[in-house]
Amino acid sequence: MRQIALYGKGGIGKSTTSANLSAAFAENGLDVMQIGCDPKHDSTRMLMHGRWIPTVLEQMYERKDLEMDDVIFTGFGGVRCVEAGGPEPGIGCAGRGIIATFQLLEKMKALNGDVVVYDVLGDVVCGGFAMPMRDGYAQEVYLVTSGELMSLYAANNICKAIARLSERSTARCRLGGVICNSKNMDNERELVAEFSRLIGSKMVQFVPRDKAVQAAEVNQMTVIEHAPASPQADVYRGLAKTILANDDLRIPTALDLDELEKLARAYL
Amino acid sequence: MAGCTLTGALSVACFIPGAVAVVHAPEGCVHQTFSMLHAMMNDCDVSQIPEIIVSGIGDREVIFGGEDCLTAALDRAAALNPDLIFVVTSCVPETIGDDCGAVCSRHPYADKIIYVPTSGFLGGSAKDGENAVLTALASCVPLSQATPGTVALIGEKNLESEADQNYAEVERLLARLGLRVTVRFCRGCDAATLMHLGTAECFILRDDRCRPAADAIGERFGRPVVPEFPRGLSGCINFLNAVGHSCGIPEEKIAAAVQDELLYQDQMLEKFSGLTKKTICLGAEPFAGTSAVAREAMARLLMQENDSALPIKLPFYLPVGAAGVEKMLYLWRRAVNNG
Repeated sequence: MRQIALYGKGGIGKSTTSANLSAAFAENGLDVMQIGCDPKHDSTRMLMHGRWIPTVLEQMYERKDLEMDDVIFTGFGGVRCVEAGGPEPGIGCAGRGIIATFQLLEKMKALNGDVVVYDVLGDVVCGGFAMPMRDGYAQEVYLVTSGELMSLYAANNICKAIARLSERSTARCRLGGVICNSKNMDNERELVAEFSRLIGSKMVQFVPRDKAVQAAEVNQMTVIEHAPASPQADVYRGLAKTILANDDLRIPTALDLDELEKLARAYL
Repeated sequence: MAGCTLTGALSVACFIPGAVAVVHAPEGCVHQTFSMLHAMMNDCDVSQIPEIIVSGIGDREVIFGGEDCLTAALDRAAALNPDLIFVVTSCVPETIGDDCGAVCSRHPYADKIIYVPTSGFLGGSAKDGENAVLTALASCVPLSQATPGTVALIGEKNLESEADQNYAEVERLLARLGLRVTVRFCRGCDAATLMHLGTAECFILRDDRCRPAADAIGERFGRPVVPEFPRGLSGCINFLNAVGHSCGIPEEKIAAAVQDELLYQDQMLEKFSGLTKKTICLGAEPFAGTSAVAREAMARLLMQENDSALPIKLPFYLPVGAAGVEKMLYLWRRAVNNG
């Protein structure tokens, strides 16, 4: 079983990328599970045709005798969809919620299949959100970033988390690569490729900005489902293929802030 | 006393007759904290079982916030119809963002709830917990006119050995000035008595460890704070002067009290004339200031100090007043006479 986690700055397009990646894996006949690790609980919505599925934490809050059908829902292509959920903003610990969710899924023996895709909260804000890495769930981490400085900053921070956690004997997480989700900036592809090289990794896919994404989302579907013949769908298929073939997993070296800013200036 | 703020806060809040302590924490925090207090209670022969209610933060509260379980704990406390409810917190609600102050203020029993944001380890040490409770409680005491001839004591410990002997010594000295203690804040005082704190002419601090609370209290009521109980013999004289001036006692009355005290001390020292000119070796100082008090007593008895002489243990706590010195000298005499 491959366990893949997508990390990156909030709003960078992790959920869109994750859902399309899961859809592309499913197209290949793989048994796929996608787990949204964000209190916003919108990771799997496009796979579920716009349905807000009940979150694991909501369900746990209500009752104790949960079964798989209460928290795992089947979406496009048979992708099994889970949303961890979380507390209201400003109270409680969403990181602990993620841990509780994983413990429940483990207890249910639900973490199985060919691929599990973890769509994790925007940035590694606390140990709880690093938990998929720390406890050996996220064995391959992919950073989703654009060429914007703050996106690179978040990606760079996640590199620090990977490097730190990879020192633990129980953690097996490694960086699989960087996905550039384009914001249509000048020199963006080159900038993200160079960033990837400097942290000791590689850019595994450049995802161009395309109206097909917005059109699919308006229709509450993934691009793979809504516009299967579109070039954008092929981009996601290409990403899935690259990831499946990728065995080049590394411990990254994060840049310091001066280096990061110098890099961003060089590609202005 | 070691531990986090919970330990210190509970050591004060638990022992106020008629009050209930609500601890917003996981059960384990209170178990561990109370284990320490229980050991100290045994040492001090205190058999009163405090009324403590724990909100019992668990996984669910950590994830979703624990405000509801604090409310439930307050309901349970209010059902006991206490005079006061103290709410103290561990580090968990601080970490997960519970607004405990808001929960307390909107509870039907709010008028009798004293919220102490101790925050467990995040709030500091046990000493900070003690200060936090004293300060929070004082802030609820109404402002009043001072009653002439009265003082209040601040920071006596509920689980302190020799506290009552020390109190008796302080009372003895205060009586020389015609003063009486109306509030021991907070040792054995019920809620109604504590509410008279603001009537004292001056506040006398047990020792420097509760200085933050004493400063806040002095400032709130606009009254002087005497910084500590008397340290040994000269400490008694300094104490009489400091308290006398703080309470506006006439100079001649203070001077008479000092003369009487010096005579009293001479008579007390006379009982230990057998120690005069003896040579001893003082042991390590367990409590800051103990050596100075001991050396002063030695000087009054013309005793000598020599590293090769009979080693003498210093008292574990700082001797309070002439009574503390007298107790110390009894032990020295036994050591000198018996080797």
